[in-house]
Amino acid sequence: MTVLKTMVAMLLRLGLLWPVVTWAVDMDTSLVMTGQWAFGTDSGSTQTMNGTLQPEIGFSFADGWRFNTSLRLRSEASDGMQPGDTERDAYSPYSKPALLHKTTELALREFFLQGQIGDTLLTIGKQQVVWGKADGLKVLDIVDPQSFREFILEEFDDSRIPLWTLNIERQIGNWDWQLLWIPDPTFHAIPKQGATYAFTSPELVPVAPPGVAVSLENPKRPERPFRDSDVGLRVATFWRGWDITFNYLYQYDNLPVLRQRLTLTGREPAVTITPEYERTHVLGTTFSTAVGDWVIRGEMGYFSRKFFIGMDPTRHHGVVKSPHLHYVLGLDWNGPSNLLFSGQLIQSWMLKHTTRSTRDRLDTTLTLLMRRLFLYDTLTAEVLIIANLNHGDGIVRPKLRYQWLDHLDIWLGADLFFGDRDGVFGQFGNNDRVLAGFESAF
Amino acid sequence: MNTLLALLAATFFIFPDGASGTELPSGDEIARRINERDEGLAVSRQVTMEMTEASGKTRIRETQGFRKYYGKEKRTMIFYQSPRSIRGTAFLTYDYPEPEHDDDQWLYLPALRKVRRISAADRGDYFLGTDFTYEDIKLETRVSLKDYHRNTVGESEADGVHCLLLENLPVSQEIAEELGYSKVLQCVDDRIWMVRRAQMWDLKGQPLKTIHFRDIRQVQGIWTPHLIEVVNHKTGHRTRFRFANVDYQAGVEDRIFTQNALKRGWRR
Repeated sequence: MTVLKTMVAMLLRLGLLWPVVTWAVDMDTSLVMTGQWAFGTDSGSTQTMNGTLQPEIGFSFADGWRFNTSLRLRSEASDGMQPGDTERDAYSPYSKPALLHKTTELALREFFLQGQIGDTLLTIGKQQVVWGKADGLKVLDIVDPQSFREFILEEFDDSRIPLWTLNIERQIGNWDWQLLWIPDPTFHAIPKQGATYAFTSPELVPVAPPGVAVSLENPKRPERPFRDSDVGLRVATFWRGWDITFNYLYQYDNLPVLRQRLTLTGREPAVTITPEYERTHVLGTTFSTAVGDWVIRGEMGYFSRKFFIGMDPTRHHGVVKSPHLHYVLGLDWNGPSNLLFSGQLIQSWMLKHTTRSTRDRLDTTLTLLMRRLFLYDTLTAEVLIIANLNHGDGIVRPKLRYQWLDHLDIWLGADLFFGDRDGVFGQFGNNDRVLAGFESAF
Repeated sequence: MNTLLALLAATFFIFPDGASGTELPSGDEIARRINERDEGLAVSRQVTMEMTEASGKTRIRETQGFRKYYGKEKRTMIFYQSPRSIRGTAFLTYDYPEPEHDDDQWLYLPALRKVRRISAADRGDYFLGTDFTYEDIKLETRVSLKDYHRNTVGESEADGVHCLLLENLPVSQEIAEELGYSKVLQCVDDRIWMVRRAQMWDLKGQPLKTIHFRDIRQVQGIWTPHLIEVVNHKTGHRTRFRFANVDYQAGVEDRIFTQNALKRGWRR
């Protein structure tokens, strides 16, 4: 913390923060350091060994406004997990992390001004916006894209990619309105082929027949600054014990459509894949309530169109287009002695399609989280199980986390994949790992 | 006869005035007076929570708390401000007067950036790593009228102050199991009708914990404990809540008790 304060003092001396500080009535700083080592039990070698530094500075002003900024410096020692192993073309120029070295990147995680004008709260700048009620997987938490550098194994707060956003919130009667304008065409960051968590499932990437060369073109990105913005609206209320939201998002889907073109190079067939981003309208709702020891929660998203991988690469460029319904129903039970059981049913429907896709029309996933707190909430033991019923694949994630000191957490865990190698989870069947890590925050 | 006269004389000199010389008030009367004591319509306060293990290792949380009554409905918000690892965590409760109406509770965890609906915890569960149960936190300095049969069992003193001993026995085994106590013995200051000490016994009748309400001063005319200490006799674990900047007249805004406020956090 002293280091951070010294840095701020140096910036002050240089005059760089002077205009901000002269108005600020309060300043808070923090620094979070994390380190994690994971050992691949199948590979018999280190899968990842990384460290991050996340300094944060906030200024509060006399009129209630505040300015917050945070950076993340991350370094990764293992091949296949380094910053360059993830598609960087997914980022807009003004959200792309700086690659300082093959192993190290620096990202701006927050940079926003927040305050009220009358009864309207404005948050302007780079920020995270989170919708939805689901745990472990995402249905409506799609406003911001995410990095799949470690598939879905990273904490969502770390993997979510903050976007430059104008976020306007206002309470009108019993309803909370949130309006979003996001002029930041940044999309999911997908690992490159050959990376440790590169997608290989036929549901996610086209698989060329043996002997057919595949070439991947640069993605076609939306480039009109205003017309290609995403916009969103959420209204939320608390009605007779129920938390209810209605959501609308007009966005470019965060996953690219992988259009395929079959050509002949000499006598050899070849497939050229062109990633393109497509618009979709998303209508959604979420709800939750508590009944005794139980919490019932759910969310649903209807996507006006979604693009899936087709079985036949020669039809519609190997793409199947369909409206899509995605929903989750969850049930949490809080037992005695800080015991939590949480189950979810997640289903995804392709509502209409004319050609066959590599995935089933109805895809069903179940999740179960068991968690218990011990030692006055300083020790958390949990197991998360995610199982896809279509492929019989999934992941088991046991974890022990201990708050050793106020400023130091340590953890031990494992990520164990199982099932069909063509499944979304089973594709990483060789990536089982045990891990240990720490987080120190000041 | 001489003995009787001597006893009467002794009683007259030992208890020269006030209630002590007369019949002690009933348990229900004491409970009623405690609950009638002015708590203010709303309050804002800084609470430092110190949790100390038997080994001496201490965890400290700085929080900002708000409470406001809407008729008989009570709304409470706690914002955690430090340490950094839990900064931004916030807890909101709507506590309804009807016993059949479960409290509504929400927790905001900054790591998830989501407001989570949580079920009304079992009343006997411990509150966020402290030695207080959710029911202890909910009652603050009041007492539950419906959960216990009460008897005044004598007089004592706590921290040098005279008090009445109020014995509380759960109305049923089921309630005892919900609360985690088979008996609660409170030492009630009969000048200001505030509990100064509470001793709890577990379901097996063993001493479980003792709570002391200390540094009781008037703030804006309202008697307010500025230190609440509890020790768990079974584990040796202790929790101290230190209150500062208690303000009953600050004008706590309604928008503090909303899910949006949970997410945004609180800043001075």
